[in-house]
Amino acid sequence: MMLEDELTVSTRERDEVAVIDLVGDVTTFAEEKINTAYREVTSKGARLVLLNFRQNDYINSAGIAILIGIVTEVNRNHQKLAVSGLSQHFQKIFRMVGLAQYAGIYQDEEEALAGFKSLT
Amino acid sequence: MSVPTSIQTSMELSLPSELGFEVIARDAIAAFARRFGIAADRIEDLKTVLSEACINAIEHGNSLQPELRVQIFCRLENERLIVDVIDHGVVPFVIQGTPLSMVDKIAGLGSLRGMGLMLISQLSDEAGFVAGTGDGNCFRFAFCCQYTNGFGH
Repeated sequence: MMLEDELTVSTRERDEVAVIDLVGDVTTFAEEKINTAYREVTSKGARLVLLNFRQNDYINSAGIAILIGIVTEVNRNHQKLAVSGLSQHFQKIFRMVGLAQYAGIYQDEEEALAGFKSLT
Repeated sequence: MSVPTSIQTSMELSLPSELGFEVIARDAIAAFARRFGIAADRIEDLKTVLSEACINAIEHGNSLQPELRVQIFCRLENERLIVDVIDHGVVPFVIQGTPLSMVDKIAGLGSLRGMGLMLISQLSDEAGFVAGTGDGNCFRFAFCCQYTNGFGH
């Protein structure tokens, strides 16, 4: 029996930003879904990538490792990355592990899009 | 002010060594902590710390062998919530020294994993391995209680 956490990952484009919506738990089981979504938006030429978290009650260190992998790819591909929608707790965790050095952390999608606009 | 003595102040859990069961444990321990009026932000920290301690026990101490159990003992004592996470020590836990920084990880200088103990040490008030009663690893962490309601100072 596997107790796989439910995570739904989908992609869309908004204001020239590739938005990857992550609904659910981000754990070791999320790796394939997140990496597939990232590769998909990158293959379409995305320069600005937003990881939009929603209803993420559980993000563990294995999930954070997946996101560090995304940061590595974003740097390699000369893209810009931001995250939005995290709870206060997980915003704190992201800052604690150093992810905030590589990705803007925003309260919500609108704020993140405005943040990207200020870069361009 | 102490918690009323009429309330039970300890709890034990036993989990199979399979990733995903730590979610059940974290929900249980969060409910246990809420029962004593511990502040909501500290409960979020507690949930993350418990999850990471369980993941270490499942992945390392019990080498992902589902038939081996992870035991969790938690108790409220002297206004501290103390949690022991015990595995079978299939692999004795060896701390690998200073974990890689984010810069090093992104530069590809090592594994992207290995942030669990750092999170535990940053989020809890004390944490570390202690002598257990058996051959396994016993990892203990504690939170000083910061109450938000009825039991508060």
